Amino acid sequence: MSFFIRKMSRRALVQALIALPALSLFRKLPDADASHADRSLADPNEIVEVNGWILKRSDLA
Amino acid sequence: MIFDSYEAYRAANFTPKVCILGSGPAGTTIARKLGAAGVPVVMLEAGAREFGDESQDFYRGTTVGDFYFDLDITRLRFMGGSSNHWAGWCRVLDKQDFEPKTWVPDTGWPIRRTDIEPYLPEVRDILDLPAFRPDMPISDDIRWVQLIKSPAVRFAEKFGDELDKARNIAVVLNTCATELAGDGRRVTGARLWSNGQDAGSFSADYFIVCTGGLENSRLLLWSNQRSNGGVVPNATALGRYWMEHPTFQGGNAILADYAEFEVDAVNEAFFSPTAAAMERLQIMNFGIRLIETPYPGVKNLIADLACTAPNMAEWMSSKLSQRLRCAAQLYVAWEQAPLASNQIELSKTDVDRAGVPRIELHWKKSEMERRTLLEGLRLFGTTLIEKNLGRVRIADWISNGQDYPTNDETAGHHHMGGTRMGTDVTKSVVDANCKVHGMDNLYVGGSSVFCTSGQCNPTTTITALACRLGDHLSKVVTA
Repeated sequence: MSFFIRKMSRRALVQALIALPALSLFRKLPDADASHADRSLADPNEIVEVNGWILKRSDLA
Repeated sequence: MIFDSYEAYRAANFTPKVCILGSGPAGTTIARKLGAAGVPVVMLEAGAREFGDESQDFYRGTTVGDFYFDLDITRLRFMGGSSNHWAGWCRVLDKQDFEPKTWVPDTGWPIRRTDIEPYLPEVRDILDLPAFRPDMPISDDIRWVQLIKSPAVRFAEKFGDELDKARNIAVVLNTCATELAGDGRRVTGARLWSNGQDAGSFSADYFIVCTGGLENSRLLLWSNQRSNGGVVPNATALGRYWMEHPTFQGGNAILADYAEFEVDAVNEAFFSPTAAAMERLQIMNFGIRLIETPYPGVKNLIADLACTAPNMAEWMSSKLSQRLRCAAQLYVAWEQAPLASNQIELSKTDVDRAGVPRIELHWKKSEMERRTLLEGLRLFGTTLIEKNLGRVRIADWISNGQDYPTNDETAGHHHMGGTRMGTDVTKSVVDANCKVHGMDNLYVGGSSVFCTSGQCNPTTTITALACRLGDHLSKVVTA
């Protein structure tokens, strides 16, 4: 690791450190997409229980 | 003939063939049937013509387990028995109530509904009923059930004159049997108590115990103890499998059109599951009663809905502006799973004035019933959605798994089981003809013979069974 860092320019190192947090965002992107897709595909007639109410999912709109 | 004491009765030199203990719906119906068949009958009634505190005190007892009513207020001890305070709701147990539920142990009767159906025209006359109406399915899961209303016939009022004029029926008031004696094959006599004192022994060819869904077990337990098993030779199930109809407000409903289900004079409607739904969900029978919600309650309900489903609440609001009656409280009464542990025992410490141990009632609702309550409300709520009839809100205490409230209806004052009907002598007390197993001349009338309770009020079925027993005994006695 120390050998690798010694070979990197200081500028490249800083750029890499800045980019690190963004990587996790990229990792989460597919999950977020799937969640959005679930919502759009959810059956509006599905029976759900919310706060004791027995409702159709479309009632929640 | 009606006598106010055993002493007066004895002076009349009446010789009965059959002795009936108790003058409630079962006792009176059987007495009239036997009397009409020409069989001389004496009917002993522990109380007087009217309510009396001293008489009622004999019914005091204790309950162990779940909260229940005081035992001396949940029934009446005077002529006509508990018909003196019934509300009049009528319905015969459902066909499926007589069938075994494969998912619940100890269910199923040795008779079928068809065995009592021939007596329903007679029952209508006795209870002053309009015609029975068929249920109306509103989905594959839920039936709109048709309870009909009797004017709440008080048996002493309706049949008092007839009994007084009958030459082969003697009604003896203020007189009860404190114990029966038996030799393991026959009841050989009874010890009587009349007008506050011991009245000696009494005998008849046949005895029919019709003292109510709690007292039948008490009398037989005490008699059996005193005669070393000579009254109920197979006593394993005696006092056991006792049942009620637990009744609680399970939630509310907002309805698109309340009038759609308006079936009776008090704006109530009743719903039950289909047999297929009970089997699929593995639950007991239940009845959901819709009771109109007062206007402020409707507003609160819609406000609550608005937090969860604003558009739906807006739609309901528009309904509310069109008609003020668009919401209901949902009261659920359900069938209890028959459990041997729900039982009537004799108190070891407390006796009544005649020296008979008082009742210690052990009663607890089971997990199966809790599930029936929750799944029943879900089933009803889902049906209302599917049919676009409205929405249901389940009460918080049910959704959150909290204890049963103690300030609710609690139960229906329907006492069933204790001397249940069956073929297995270890799990029942009487046979299909209501005769005590192993005994030649001892029968039981009333809801204590119920194997399962169904969801509906028991008086109609009690009366039908009493007609059937009256017919059966007429043949046996006159053979």
